[in-house]
Amino acid sequence: MTRVGLVYLLLIGSAYLLLTLRDRQKTGQSLKMAGKSLLKMMPLLVAVFGLVGLFQEFLPAELVSRWLGESSGLVGLLIGAGAGAIAIGPPLAAYPLAGSLLDAGAWPPAIAAFIVSWISVGIITITFEAQIFGARFALLRNSISFVAAMLCGLLLGLLL
Amino acid sequence: MIRQWLLLLTAGLYGYAFWASPGRTAHALQIGATTLGSVLLLIISVFGLVGLLQVWISRELIVKLLGREGGVKGLLIATFCGTVLIGPAYIIFPLLMSLHKHGARWAVVTIVLTSYAVKIQMIPIEVGFLGWPFSLARALITIALAIPTGLLVEAFMEKRGL
Repeated sequence: MTRVGLVYLLLIGSAYLLLTLRDRQKTGQSLKMAGKSLLKMMPLLVAVFGLVGLFQEFLPAELVSRWLGESSGLVGLLIGAGAGAIAIGPPLAAYPLAGSLLDAGAWPPAIAAFIVSWISVGIITITFEAQIFGARFALLRNSISFVAAMLCGLLLGLLL
Repeated sequence: MIRQWLLLLTAGLYGYAFWASPGRTAHALQIGATTLGSVLLLIISVFGLVGLLQVWISRELIVKLLGREGGVKGLLIATFCGTVLIGPAYIIFPLLMSLHKHGARWAVVTIVLTSYAVKIQMIPIEVGFLGWPFSLARALITIALAIPTGLLVEAFMEKRGL
């Protein structure tokens, strides 16, 4: 993955160089914004990768395959989407966790439902959403998105 | 505050694990550090891209794009906007509500929040952890479901007396 990282770094670096020629000030602002977002994200990254280590060392594979494995079926799908709905945080945090669950034998559709509902369903933020859009919209949107997350998982299962 | 809950949880779990089994906990910490090390370059590059997108594709531009079109084109633009906007979804709630007050449809608001689950600039990281077939399929299906989800929520919103 380090090699992919280098290629990507090279691409983005060239984009910065090209854009510096076009608009020096705006590109400098981009770089500052990038650094600031990365710093803000650091505690979360440390937490997530710490959790990945714990998962790999301590999480028994039987437990994962019982609750999230292929044989768990709809229950696994519900658990995946439910865990995602409770968790909040940027997608960046969801990928490593999802990856270690997949490695431990989780069913891909359940994991896809987890990622999608992690981002598009928010039980913790639903009161805030209701304050801004009204309770009716917040409830409708979150419940329909919850079902859509599970549907996404099922479709992914058919596709892969 | 919301951002730190996971750090607290992880620190707590480590504390407990260390008390129960110091050797395995050290190993867990090592796995975590190695994994982070292997994707750090990728993460740094992705944030470089995040900075570029935030400055060159400004919020004002997105507001202009979303407010202008009402038809199918508007729904497609909303899908696209959701996939490039960064940050936790709740940060853009107020922005979306002001768009709605200025005439954007409920479907547009919902679609942005649904397609939010795909992050184009994060795809290299997703692929690193989950592989190409999974990441690509998940992105395509999420995008395909965004517009139906939006229209469904809108239909319910407009059906008064429910």
